[in-house]
Amino acid sequence: MFDMFSEIVQVFETQNHGSILTVFTIGIFFGVVIQWSRVDTFEKIAGFSMLKDFTMIKLIFLATGIITIALYLMVQFGIASYSPKPIIIGGLIIGAIVFGIGMSIFGKCPGTGTISLGEGRIDVLIGVIGGLVGGAVYTIFFTDIKAILGDNFGKVQLMDYFPAEYTSYIVFIFGGLLIFLSFVIPNRELHYDKE
Amino acid sequence: MIIPKKLSWWQGGILMAIIVIFTFSSFGADRPLGCSTSVPYISSHLFNLEEYEYAQKSVNSGAWQVVLLLGALLGGLLTSVFITKSFGFKLIPSLWKERKGNSVIERFIWSFIGGFLIVFGARLAGGCTSGHFLSGLPQLAVSGIIFGLFMMIGLFITGYFFYKKDK
Repeated sequence: MFDMFSEIVQVFETQNHGSILTVFTIGIFFGVVIQWSRVDTFEKIAGFSMLKDFTMIKLIFLATGIITIALYLMVQFGIASYSPKPIIIGGLIIGAIVFGIGMSIFGKCPGTGTISLGEGRIDVLIGVIGGLVGGAVYTIFFTDIKAILGDNFGKVQLMDYFPAEYTSYIVFIFGGLLIFLSFVIPNRELHYDKE
Repeated sequence: MIIPKKLSWWQGGILMAIIVIFTFSSFGADRPLGCSTSVPYISSHLFNLEEYEYAQKSVNSGAWQVVLLLGALLGGLLTSVFITKSFGFKLIPSLWKERKGNSVIERFIWSFIGGFLIVFGARLAGGCTSGHFLSGLPQLAVSGIIFGLFMMIGLFITGYFFYKKDK
């Protein structure tokens, strides 16, 4: 594991994506906000899959709506850039379904799982071990898995389907829609005192 | 000033937006926020798989995300001890007990399977809730929208069948 940390230091030196201290600090705030909102709990995540708790989806839609508009403005001002992920259709669809099934059973996703681990949950520790095994299996069988990933339709953004002059409208409508959704989704919440 | 023990969804949403916006900006990290590449990255070091093709592909994002998640781990620990007071070595979540019973072994086995599936699924899809959803939707990335839709299908089907009340 020691060579991993020296490799991390190296990667940060060669890449221009913030210093280790900056990224670590972003991580702390990320952990604080998620933990403080309690959206790292099993009740909020598995509860969403049972349609019993909508806190997480309301939070995400509001956040993504705000980010959509802010990010577009930042890109216009040249202080941020878009780097959308490609549409590798087979992997995307199968992976998303498998991910959803796992998220409902485990009650965590990779980020919230880590944060919940900090809260001392033992069942989450077991899930993290399962995740590490999953990561190893994926790495070992990647050359075989590649076959089912399917065609790459490129790094497409919604505005690519429309003439360039509509881009700002599309961004504001999409961002506005996400914010609108965050408010109209019912405020349903499970309450567990100790969670 | 009294610090609330819990943020509401909109308070959390606004703060989360600020964090991701900062991460995207050139003042922060000039990249999207992601989490799930860190797992195979750690796996490759843990199980000595560094020579594999995928391990080499995951170095740059993986290393960045390990630092982010170490911060998140600390943030979660501090908040659970000092603010939410929810820190504790618990074996089974309350809602799981209500739906699936009190067996610790059963919860552990399913946790392991669930943990395996989220990492394997996220790697197939090329991202997780953070990369595809939280960072993908704001870029109007079609991949993020597709991921979101099919993730919901997986979630709701499992929520309906796996957690059925009358066993």
